[in-house]
Amino acid sequence: MAKTLIVGEIQKGQLREATLELVTLARKLGGEVASLIIGSGVGAVAEELAKKGGGKVLLADDATLANYNLDGWERAIKKAIDAEKPELILISSTPIGWDVAGALAAALDCGIASEVIKIEPDGVDLVFVRRMFNAKFDARLRVSGTPRIATVQPGASEAYSGSESGSVVKLDGVGGAARTKFVEIRVAPAGGHDLTKAEIIVSGGRGLQKPENFEAVLKPLVEALGAQMGASRPVVDAGWLPHEYQVGSSGQIVSPKLYVAVGISGAIQHLVGMKNSNFIIAINKDADAPIFEVADVGIVGDLFEVVPALAAAVKAAKG
Amino acid sequence: MKILVCLKQVPHKDARLELAPDGKWIADANIKFEINDYDNYALEEALRIKDKDPATEVVVVSIGPDRVQQSLRTALGMGADRAIQIWDDGLAGADSLAIAKSLAAVARAEKVDLVLMGLMSDDTNFALTGPMLAALLGVPHATGIVSEKNEGGQLEVERELEGGALEVVKLPLPCLLTAQTGMNEVRYASLKGIMQAKKKPLDKKSLGDLGLSAGAVASKVKIEKIYTPPKGQGAEILSGSKDEVAQKFVGKVKELGLL
Repeated sequence: MAKTLIVGEIQKGQLREATLELVTLARKLGGEVASLIIGSGVGAVAEELAKKGGGKVLLADDATLANYNLDGWERAIKKAIDAEKPELILISSTPIGWDVAGALAAALDCGIASEVIKIEPDGVDLVFVRRMFNAKFDARLRVSGTPRIATVQPGASEAYSGSESGSVVKLDGVGGAARTKFVEIRVAPAGGHDLTKAEIIVSGGRGLQKPENFEAVLKPLVEALGAQMGASRPVVDAGWLPHEYQVGSSGQIVSPKLYVAVGISGAIQHLVGMKNSNFIIAINKDADAPIFEVADVGIVGDLFEVVPALAAAVKAAKG
Repeated sequence: MKILVCLKQVPHKDARLELAPDGKWIADANIKFEINDYDNYALEEALRIKDKDPATEVVVVSIGPDRVQQSLRTALGMGADRAIQIWDDGLAGADSLAIAKSLAAVARAEKVDLVLMGLMSDDTNFALTGPMLAALLGVPHATGIVSEKNEGGQLEVERELEGGALEVVKLPLPCLLTAQTGMNEVRYASLKGIMQAKKKPLDKKSLGDLGLSAGAVASKVKIEKIYTPPKGQGAEILSGSKDEVAQKFVGKVKELGLL
C-alpha cells in the first residue's frame, strides 16, 4: 500500500471520532498516511490529529471554510491530492461525506466504494466490504484505477489512540468563492419526548403495519413495562408518530437498560441509535432480520400474537 | 421551469430476496419491483413545484430494462409530463459513475433547470449518483434535503444532519437536490391520472441515442460477490408456545431487575 489520504472532519469544534477511526483503518493497510483538516481557525485540531494519529496533517484553513461548503471542500481536497498523490482517499460516511465524496469521484473520474465497513488487502489489490439491501447482504467490491476513494461508516473501526509525533503543513490557496451559501444550522426544538434518559424503551417499526396499532398493540406492552415508546425511521417518515419518537442516527441516540424492538428489521441508521442499550430484545417475523445480530434475546414470530401475550404476562407478573 | 426527476426501480420492500446463483446480485427474475422510496419524495417535491406553477415541466427518467416502464407509468400517473427509459446491454452492472454519465447526457439534452432524485437507493445504498451527476453537469448540489423553497430564483433548502439538526443552504439554479425520506407526503396516482398516463410520451433511448459509447460508461467499481453476512453470536432465540415465550420474556426482564 503506497499512500492514503484521510479527509478529517470537525464536529462542534472538536476532531471527529470518525476521523481517528479512518486512521486505524489506514494504518492497518500499511504505507504512508497523510490527513487533511478543513476549517477556519482550526490549527489546534490539526495539531491534535498530528499527535493522536501521526503522519503529515495538511491544514486547509481559511475564513471561507468556516462552515461546510461543497466547493471549498472539493478545492481543499484536490489541493491535498495534488500535494500528496495518494492512491487511496478515505472520507467518513457522514452528511459531509455524502455531499462531497461522489462529486469528487466524478470530478477526478475515479472509482469509489461508499459506505464501507472494512478494507481487506488482497495481494496488491484491495477488497472493499460493505452492506447492501439495507444490511440484508454484504458485498465485496473491487475498484480499479488510481486514486480510489472509499467512504467509511462511522463506528466501523476503533478510534486510533496512539501517541504520535506528526507534523502540520499549511496548504495555500484554499480559500475562494462557493456557489452554495451556508445560511445556518437549525436544531429542532427539543420535543417533550426525551428517550435519552428512559430506563426501558419499546420501539415499533414498519412491522406494526398501521398507525392505530401503536396504540392498540404496542402501547399495552409499553405501559405494562413502565417504558417509553420509540419508533424507527419509516414510521416517522410515514407520519405515524412525530419525529421526537425516532431512535436512530437522525433521531435520538439511546442507551436504556432494556430496549425492546418490535417489528423493526434493523437498518443501519436505527442500529446506530440503539446498539449501546444494556440489553436488547427483538421481536420480528423474519429470522434473518439484521436486528437479531445486535439483540441479546430474540423472538421470531408474528408480533400481533406475541406482543399481547408479552403484555399480559408482564401485567400478571406484577400482580 | 423544467425539472428532471431520476427514478430507480428497486425490489419491493416486502420482496423475499435470495442470492443469484453467480453470487454477484440477487435473483431478480420473479420478484416485485417498485420506485425507490427516496426517489418518491423527490418526485413528489417536483410535482408540488408544478402544482404551484403549472408552466413547470416534469420529466422522469429511469435506467433499466423494460420492467422500469411500469414505474415510469406510475410517475406519469402521479402527474409527471414525460418519461424517458434508458436501457442498453452495456449498462448491465453499471457503477454509479456510469449511471451518472448516462443521466448527465439526458439532463444536458433536456436543458433542465433542476434535477431531483433520492439521496440513495434501497438496493445498493451507495448514495453517490446525485453528487456525481451534479459534478458532471457542473451545477451545485445539496444532499439529503428535507425541504426546499424558491427565494427569488434561489433555492433555500434544509439538509438533514445527525441528531435532528438541519443545515440551511442557498443554491442558485440550475442545481441538483437529493431527497431524504419523509421530506413530504407522497401522493398516489388518481384513477384519472392513471388513464391520462397511458397517453403521455414514454421514450426509450439507448446509449447510442445519448451519444455515449459502451467504453464511455465502463465501470470502475465491480461487485465481486454479495452474500449473507456471517452470523455473529446473534441473539438467544426464545422458543416454545406463545405463553412459554412470554414467561421467558418476563424472566429476562426480572433478571435485569426491571420487574
